This record gives sequence, C-alpha cells and structure tokens, in this order.
Amino acid sequence: MKKAIIGTLALTLALASAALAQAFTWPASWTTAKPGEAKRGGTFVEATISDFRTMNPFLSAEADSIPDRMTLNGIGLVTRDPTTGKWIPYMATSWKVSKDQTEITFKIRRGMKWSDGKPITADDWIMTYRIHMDPKVGSNLRDSFFIGDKVVKVEKIDDYTLRFVYPKPDAEAFAIASYSPWPAHVFGPVYEKQGADGIKKMWGLNEDPGKIVTWGPFVVASYRPGERVVFKRNPYFGEWNKDAAGNPLPYLDAYQVNIVKDTNAELAAFLTGEIDQMNPTTVEQIAQIKKAINAGKLDATLKVNASPIASSQFVVFNWNKKSDPFKERLFRSAKFRKAMSHLINRKAVVEVVYGGLGTPMYGSVYPVLTQWINKDAPKYPYDPEAAKKLLAELGFTKKDAEGYLVDEQGRRLEFNLATNAGNKQREEIAKLFVDEAKKVGVKINFRPIDFNTLVGQLLSKGPDRPFDAIIIGLRGGGLDWPFGSNVVPCRGNLHMWNRSGTCLDPRETLMQYYYYKGRTTLDFDQRVKIGYKLQEVEGELLPIVYIAGPNYHTAWNNRIGGWHPDKIISSIWRSGELPLLYRAK
Amino acid sequence: MGAYLVRRLIHLIPTFLGATFLAFLILQLAPGDFLTRWALDPKIRPETIALMRHNFGLDRPVLVQYLIWLKNLLHGDLGHSFMYQQPVLEVIWPRILNSLILVGLSIVFLYLIGIPVGVYQALRPYTPGDYAISFLAYFGIAIPNFFFMLILIYLLVQFKFAHGWTPFPIGGMTSQGFDHLPPWRQLLDVLWHAVLPAFVVVTADMSSLTRVMRGLVMEVLGQDYIRTARAKGLPQRVVLYKHALRNAIIPVIATIGGLLPTLISGAGLVEVVANWPGMTPLLLDAINQQDLYVNTGIIALSTFLLIVGNILGDLLLAVVDPRIRYG
Repeated sequence: MKKAIIGTLALTLALASAALAQAFTWPASWTTAKPGEAKRGGTFVEATISDFRTMNPFLSAEADSIPDRMTLNGIGLVTRDPTTGKWIPYMATSWKVSKDQTEITFKIRRGMKWSDGKPITADDWIMTYRIHMDPKVGSNLRDSFFIGDKVVKVEKIDDYTLRFVYPKPDAEAFAIASYSPWPAHVFGPVYEKQGADGIKKMWGLNEDPGKIVTWGPFVVASYRPGERVVFKRNPYFGEWNKDAAGNPLPYLDAYQVNIVKDTNAELAAFLTGEIDQMNPTTVEQIAQIKKAINAGKLDATLKVNASPIASSQFVVFNWNKKSDPFKERLFRSAKFRKAMSHLINRKAVVEVVYGGLGTPMYGSVYPVLTQWINKDAPKYPYDPEAAKKLLAELGFTKKDAEGYLVDEQGRRLEFNLATNAGNKQREEIAKLFVDEAKKVGVKINFRPIDFNTLVGQLLSKGPDRPFDAIIIGLRGGGLDWPFGSNVVPCRGNLHMWNRSGTCLDPRETLMQYYYYKGRTTLDFDQRVKIGYKLQEVEGELLPIVYIAGPNYHTAWNNRIGGWHPDKIISSIWRSGELPLLYRAK
Repeated sequence: MGAYLVRRLIHLIPTFLGATFLAFLILQLAPGDFLTRWALDPKIRPETIALMRHNFGLDRPVLVQYLIWLKNLLHGDLGHSFMYQQPVLEVIWPRILNSLILVGLSIVFLYLIGIPVGVYQALRPYTPGDYAISFLAYFGIAIPNFFFMLILIYLLVQFKFAHGWTPFPIGGMTSQGFDHLPPWRQLLDVLWHAVLPAFVVVTADMSSLTRVMRGLVMEVLGQDYIRTARAKGLPQRVVLYKHALRNAIIPVIATIGGLLPTLISGAGLVEVVANWPGMTPLLLDAINQQDLYVNTGIIALSTFLLIVGNILGDLLLAVVDPRIRYG
C-alpha cells in the first residue's frame, strides 16, 4: 500500500456550499471495510528498501519519498478515482475548462488547514509552483510544468480560486494540476530572503520534525537515519476528510516505514509480524509467505498475480549504422524485426525468468493499463516457422557450413546483442532469444556490458551509433497518455532505435502525428481512440520488440484492515488507501 | 621519538594526496555518472540533466574537480552528496557512529574471547578441548559473515514461529518506540540489537586470533627464559601473565592500529543483512548511484585513519616492547 488516493464528485459538490469545512468523503467502494466498522488508533508498519534522502519536497527525486508519503503520493487539487481511473476533485471542489481547453479554473476547497493549524489557500499553490520552477533549486517536478518548450502558468484569481494556463490543450493537464501544495508561510519567507540556496538548506533529514508541515493525513514525528521514519496523525486532516459514515480520517494514530536494505530481512520482518505489508517479488518469497500462512504461523492475506507491473523488457535494434550498410538495411526492415519478434518465446520467458509470475508483452502500452490496450493491434507471437518465412522473403534462404542463414552474396545473418551485466533477468531473456534464433539459423553474439556504457550507447546520436541490438527496460509513464514524450517523437532522446534526428520511416512520422494529436486532446475517451490508432501503426512498424514484464503481488497482515477490494488491487492502485487503513486486531 | 613522529606525519601528506587522487580518478573512470540513470527516465528532459550536470560540477575536467574538492577539504568540507543534497559529513556522520557501536562491540568480543581462548589452547595443546576449539575456529574462518548472519536470522524466525518470541531481535538497531525510552534503556536496547551482528562480524577475526595466540604463546612457552622462570620457582600465573603473555602479545598489538579504519568503514555485508544502519549500506548505495563525494569522503576518511592507525600501532609497539626504539 503506498499509492493512496481519493473522492466523490457528487457528494462533494452537494456539500460544497454548506459546511464551514467542505468535507471530502472517501467512497465506500475504495475499501473492504463496511461503513462504521473501522476502529480508531494503532500503527501501520511497512518497509522500504532504499533509505530516504530528504524531507524537502523541492529536492526529493524518487517515488515514495517522505514528502510523497505525507501527501498521498504527491496529489493536490485533483486525484484519480481507482475504480474508474478518471480525475476527480480533491483539494479543489470543482473546475471549469475554458472553451479552447487551454485554461482550467479550480475552486479550492474551503476550511482545509496545514498540520500547524494555518489555513490552506491559493497562495500555497503559487509559492510551491514558483519554487519548483526555479532552475537553481533543481526540483524534479520542474519538467512536469513544461509542455514541449513552453511553460504551464499557475495564476491566483482569489484566495480560493486558481487558474492553470496551458500553452495548448494537453492530455496531462490534470496530472500537471495535481501537484501537491506546500505551506507558503513556511517556505515563502525563506525563498524571498535567501532564494534557492535557502530552500535547499531546509528540511534535510536532520531537520527537527516539529518544523515539518503538511496538509496530508500524517506528518513526520521522527526519523532515524537508515532505520525508520515514524509519522503521526495530522489532526486537521480529519476536519475535511471523512469516511462514508462521516468519521474523520485517518483512523490510524501513526504510520511507520522501516528501512530494510535486504529483501531477505524484509521477508523475515513480514513473517514475524514486524511489518504489516509487503509486495513479494519472487517465487521463493511467495512460497515462504504461503507456507507460513498455511501452517497457521502467520495470519495474513496474500494476493498473487494481482496485476502486471507497469514495466517492460524489450529488444531495440539500431537503425543508425552508416559504417555497416548491410546491418543498417536489416535493422530498418520491419520484416526483420517481426521475424525477431516471432523468435522470442514469451511463454518461456515468463516461466524461466519470472517463475511463471509475469505477463507477455507485444506493444508499448503496459498490460496493466487495460483501458488503453488495443487488442486488435498486430502481434507477432512466438512462431519460428513464420520467422523463417519472413527471413526468406528478405533473401536469407541458404545456410552456410556452420548452419547459419546467408543471403545471395553470402553475408551471414549475424548481429551483436547487449544488456547490462548483472541483471540476471535480462541475461536470461537474452540467452533464450539466442537459443531460439540459433535454431532457425540466426547468429546472435550476446555480451552483457556495464549499465552506464549501455545507456551511453543507447542514447548516442547521429548516423553511426555503436551498437546492434540492446535488451533494456523502461518503467513508469503516464496514465493519461501512456506513450513516452521522448520515445515516440522522432527527435526524442529515448527514440532509441533511430537517433538521426529525423523520421526515417513514414510510419514513424504517422506515430509521431498520433502522439501529438493524443497529447493535445483533453477528452479521455477521444484520446483512448487515438491511442488505439497509434498502437495499430506501432504494430505495423514494430520499432521495438517487446518481451514481457513481471507481475504485482501483495500481502498484508490481517491485523490491519481497510484494504482495497480485489478489483482495484493492482500495481497502479496498489493494495489500499492509507487514510482508510485501520487496526483490525 | 619526536623527530620520528614529525617525519611520519609529513609522510602522511603525499600518501593521503596520492590515495585520494587515485580514488577520485578511478571513481571517475567508471563510465557514466550520477545523472546517467536519470537519462532513462521518460519524464526528465535532457536539458534538465545538462543543467544538473553543470550545477554538480560534473562537466569539468577531473583534475579541476579534484583540486576544488581538495580546497574545500582544507576548510573541513568534504563536498556535497548528490543523493542527499546535503554536506557529505552530515550524511556519513550518523552512519559512522552506528558502525562504531557494532565494530567497537565486536572488537571487545575479539580480545575478550580471542586472547583467553588462544591462551587456554596453548596451555592444553592436543587435548580434546583444543581440538574442539580448533574445529570451531576453522568453521568461523571459513563461513562468510553475511551467510552466517542469514542462518541466524532464519533460526530466529523459526524460533519465533515455535515460541512466539525471540531471544534476539531480527535485524535493526533500535526497537519501535525507542525515542520514548530513558537513556539507560536506550543503551541496553542498542546493545541487545548489536550482540548478534557484532559476534558474527568478528567470527573470522576471532577464530584467526585464537589460532595466532595459541601459536605465539606455545612458542614463547618453549623458550629458555620461561624454563628459567619456572626453575626459579615462580608460580604458573606469574610465568604466564608476566613473562610469557607480554612477549607473545607483541605481534597482536602491532595490528591494533590497523583496526582504526575498520571502525568507521563499517562491518561489511553483515550490516546489510542484519539491517544495521551503518556505513556499508550507505557506501553500497553511494557506489551504485555514483555519488562521487560520498565515495571520496569515505575513502578519504578511511585513508586518513589507516595512516594514523599505523602510526599509533607503531607507537604502541614501542610502549609494550622495550627493544623497539624509534629515532
């Protein structure tokens, strides 16, 4: 449980004009607890593998940082409803979109307070935006306020009204507006006086927790380096966050995150009840948890294969090989890449690499994003015969003395394949690929290399780049428009197959066209349709050969209740909403 | 003696410069830098990465970076951590203290157990007790620390399943609610957490120390002056502790100085497995992330302590062995 989110539009709008504190009601459909069932008090403990770096929201760079955990994963005016995936108002009560779709005006919820009791107003969003935008601060969020090279502006209309002005209509308009506010009365005076340097000195890990202020359900109470962070309930959060029965949230008194650097140690901590939740990642971990539950030693719930994870492994071929025209022509041929896709036994990959706990992939959209997947887009599943046929069409009909395919001029079908050394999963995928290719007469020379060297090769530019094929993975990406802004456009720095700076294939140009069309469409359903078309072109071109990704599993100790119903447990929505968890036993 | 000390301290300077520059160079020779990883994040623009690289000074020549680092070092500034966005000293200081507890306790175990056991063996060589201890010692030398710790954790989990409690905590340095305990309870709590990993950390050293002590004491006991002392009718206790042990222990003392850098460099992978918030987990993170100044900071501190430790070891040697003179 880490992802935590919120709200109902109808209820909040009904309450909007009435009470002093306009309450947000957390829908009963987000939890398995019956209304009124949850008790107050107690602590929820989970673990994290990486130590925290800072408490400063303007410097934190990674997911699940302390600021993220205090603000329900960095949400603000709006949040996503896990049951539909759509945006709903949260710290806002309503919004209005201008006719040309380049302005959104938000009404801020009244009666919200910071954990130090001061009111939350439009100034907080403005100051937060200003600090994020200062390049000297180096905030990771700064880039999210850019659309292309143009900046999204945030304007204060009055204390409870904000206007977001976009350079053009954008798929991620609400995602951009959902950034978490931080208290202007804390950061503002420092920023005005000392600028970026002042901000950088604030809220380090050795900061007195008493000075940390948040709007979220929990605020830092203590931090011990490399050991744990403890959060205590923010009493003001309950004034505007209620459960379906009208009780203030969160239920828990405290929330604790232990830093556990070793996955064996994490498993031991879960098995002995020292932590309440974990997401097992390997067959061995799952087996151990199952065994402990079955033997009656651990009272816990285990959900295996809850959903795929939003991450992928794939092979990318280099289209820029001026020094080797034979290979360049080959790698630029869609037929060749389709043949390679036919040679990847994804079922075997899932079995061997993920121990059966994975999902095959055929396109760039993560399988977990079910509403985005175009099931009719072309696929090239494991089929060595089909691969042979395609390679024959490319002129590879004869075999040489060693049994490898050669063309008319006697040139052998052979290329190098790299991945980052030490990544066992990718090395196993590569070996499976090499074996299957050998069977039909394709020679692949596999060599794992250092990660940073690999990235250097992948990101190199120009007409002659130093690799043939690379197995690598990406993770993350938007839910609003799940195509990478620097992957699909031909000039993007992650347009890994072709970094000549221009589109070389008309289908690349078409993909780029659909990318920008979708990116500038605000309406969700319309955007999904454009995404479907993009996937069809992608299937024809197959610029990247996708392989598979791991699945998401989760387990929790039954002394904590209030988890998500099964249908919204996934790698995207995770296992529960932090404010709705309660101590059941 | 004074001149000797001054000379040693002057030698310290080129050694320190050489070691740190080499470390700096080797760390920079590794392909990529702290920001390379970010390049694969679809949400970060290349312009941003270029800007950060400039802000971190990573776009300058290595020699310039080293000289700037050296200049800051003279002002007591070890540089800035990329990961933590904080001065390096602030990042590593709490970790040094944590490692000190673990390593300090393990050194206490080392001498408190290692020396008497070695002496015990030397006095009763080739008896069943000697063989039993030797067997355990070889086992202790052979087993990798982190693996030994994993086995102990497994046993603790099984113990917990069987009895519902554990004699020692399963990893960590402090209990939940530690901050609300009175100081003496805090001390006990930390020690309780430290006992097992400290013991594991020192198994190999302790085992080899008992072997060394056994050999040294046996050798000394066979010498003429011991025979003379015995012939004079001195009691066994005096022969052993006043005559034999003082000579036998000299080589052991010479190695004490070498312990100084291990005090801060942490207890190795045991810290990771036992979830002890010491230097090793931090160093591993820093190496993985190529957090340049945390790495160089740790190397600089260990180098300094290694040099100082060696000097201290030499001086200690002069104290216990009147035959050694420095001039």
